[in-house]
This record gives sequence, structure tokens and C-alpha cells, in this order.
Amino acid sequence: MSGADMAEYRIAHLRDRLASEDVAELGVRIEERGGSVMLYGTVSSAACRSEVLRIAREELTGLPLHEDLVVACADAPTHREELS
Amino acid sequence: MIRVAAVGDIHLSPESAGALRPAFDTLGECADLLLLAGDLTRHGTVEEARVVAREVAGLPVPVVAVLGNHDYQSDLQDEVTAVLEEVGVTVLEGRGTVLRINGTRVGVAGTKGFGGGFAGRSGGEFGEPEMKAFVRYTRRCAEELAASLRSLREEDCAVRIALTHYSPVPDTLAGEPLEIYPFLGSYLLAEAVDDAGADLAVHGHAHMGSEHGMTGGGVRVRNVAQPVLGRAFAVYHLPVHTRPTSLVGGAATAGVG
Repeated sequence: MSGADMAEYRIAHLRDRLASEDVAELGVRIEERGGSVMLYGTVSSAACRSEVLRIAREELTGLPLHEDLVVACADAPTHREELS
Repeated sequence: MIRVAAVGDIHLSPESAGALRPAFDTLGECADLLLLAGDLTRHGTVEEARVVAREVAGLPVPVVAVLGNHDYQSDLQDEVTAVLEEVGVTVLEGRGTVLRINGTRVGVAGTKGFGGGFAGRSGGEFGEPEMKAFVRYTRRCAEELAASLRSLREEDCAVRIALTHYSPVPDTLAGEPLEIYPFLGSYLLAEAVDDAGADLAVHGHAHMGSEHGMTGGGVRVRNVAQPVLGRAFAVYHLPVHTRPTSLVGGAATAGVG
């Protein structure tokens, strides 16, 4: 089994863990990119973001990891949409 | 004009309690009602439902919700519904509700909906019992959505809104991997909306999707998942069109919101 194959399975296992563990996060994109793994998307809180990254580092130990996870904005809207 | 505020996928839990309340407290100034498009909790526990209930309790606008798949995770969807209804939230599943807003009857038909995919790339009611049950469940959600929308028309609603968690169209999934579209929605929901008619369809579920879409019949669709909106909620201004109320009667005079 090649390293790439193993990374593929480990990413799948990471997705399973994010869904089944307490963080219950299904909205994060996880992709292999240029020999590293990229996590991106929007999560509901800073604590959720920390937990996703902790689990990812644990599950993907040894693989280069890049992340661009942001926390959902809870500000009131500043504009509205007029529907005809 | 009716001012519709909407958001889905707020995924509240004790750690995020109170996060949305400051924004929700502004609703009285900018909206006539608030729609919640499912995935209100993280795991669908009663404790998390109480966080949601506190977040929306006592708001100056009526709150209408459907649940999402996360709200079913603990098999406590009935208890989650009860907790929300205790604070006055109307939780819809396969039924509609009529709100009177500034003299206008506004109908909201709601179902969580389910997946199956979109026309030409969808699962069929064939083969294993699990597969048939999957598609039948979506079909039942869609049939109930259509029946609810028709019922709202019979109840002389000048504005009708379809509220789901799963998406009726692929347009608002743009940004999600194509491979998972069948788990994000179903064309059966759009067909129901087009058959029965609606002024707006609102859904959540697709965090990486996009806000704007339209059914084949021309009904505007909005994905209001909070990660898509990038704010606490969206506000849509819907015009109130005057239309005949019956075959023998004249036209309804719609109020202006």
C-alpha cells in the first residue's frame, strides 16, 4: 500500500471521527493537496475549531497539515435582499 | 411587503449559548418573522435544545422552524420539538402554519426533507429494502410539503414559503463536492414546490454551498446555512401579490408589511 493510499484512508477515518465524536462536525472539507492535507470550512465556535484541529492532528500524525477553518460570524446582517 | 429573516445550521450547544442572541434581538427592527432551517443543535439532545430555546425565547417576531439531521442524531426529535414549542416556536414537519402579519396571511410549509439527488442523477425506489425506504421517505416528505403548500393556498395565504432543511435544488449546493449532492437534497422537494406553488423556498444543510438558486418552475431558493450567509441570519423582502381568493369571490386585498 502506498503512502498516498494510506493518507486517503486516514482522511476517511478522520471524517468518520469528526462525525461520530462529540464535536459532530460534518461541514469541514478535508483534501489531499500537494502531498499535504488541507482542512477548510466554517465551524460553529472557536471551541469546535480547536477540537477539529486536535482530532485532525491526532488522526493524521506525520502528514503535513494546512488549515483554513473559520468560525461562523454571528453578527446581525447589514443588508437585505429585495425579491420581486 | 413581508420581511423574512432566516438562518439554518446554527448548531448550538452549551458552549455556544448566547452567541446569536445579540443579533436576534435586532429582529424586531428588520423582520416580521424568523425561519429556522434545521440543524439547530449539534447532537439533538434536550440540553442543546434548551440552548436553542433560550436563544429565541421572547423574540419580538414569530419563530417557525424545521429540524435537521443533527437534531435527529440522539433519536430525541420529539423531545427537541417539545422544548422549542415550550417557548413558542412553531416546529413544522409535514404541515404548515399561517401567520397574520400586518393584515397579510403568510403561510409557511415545512418539512426536514431528505436526500436522494437531483433529476438525472438520483436514487430510485428499487432493489434492497433499505434503498427503497430511503427514497420513499424523501417522497413522503415531498408529498407532505406539496399538500401543506396547497392547504395554505386554500387558507388564502397571500405569501407562501417552503421551509426545509435539505435542498430542493442543486444550484444552492455549488461549492459542495458533486459526489455528495445525493446526500444534500432531492429534486422531489423542488417538484413539490413547483406543483403546489410558493413564493420562496428556504433551506440549509449545505455549509459549503451558495445562497441563491431557483427551481425549474421559477421559485427562488435560498440556502440560509449560517456558514453560507456569513452572518447571524439573512433578511428577504417578499412582495405581497393580490390574487383571487376563490372562484366566485373577488380579489383579496393584501396588506402591506
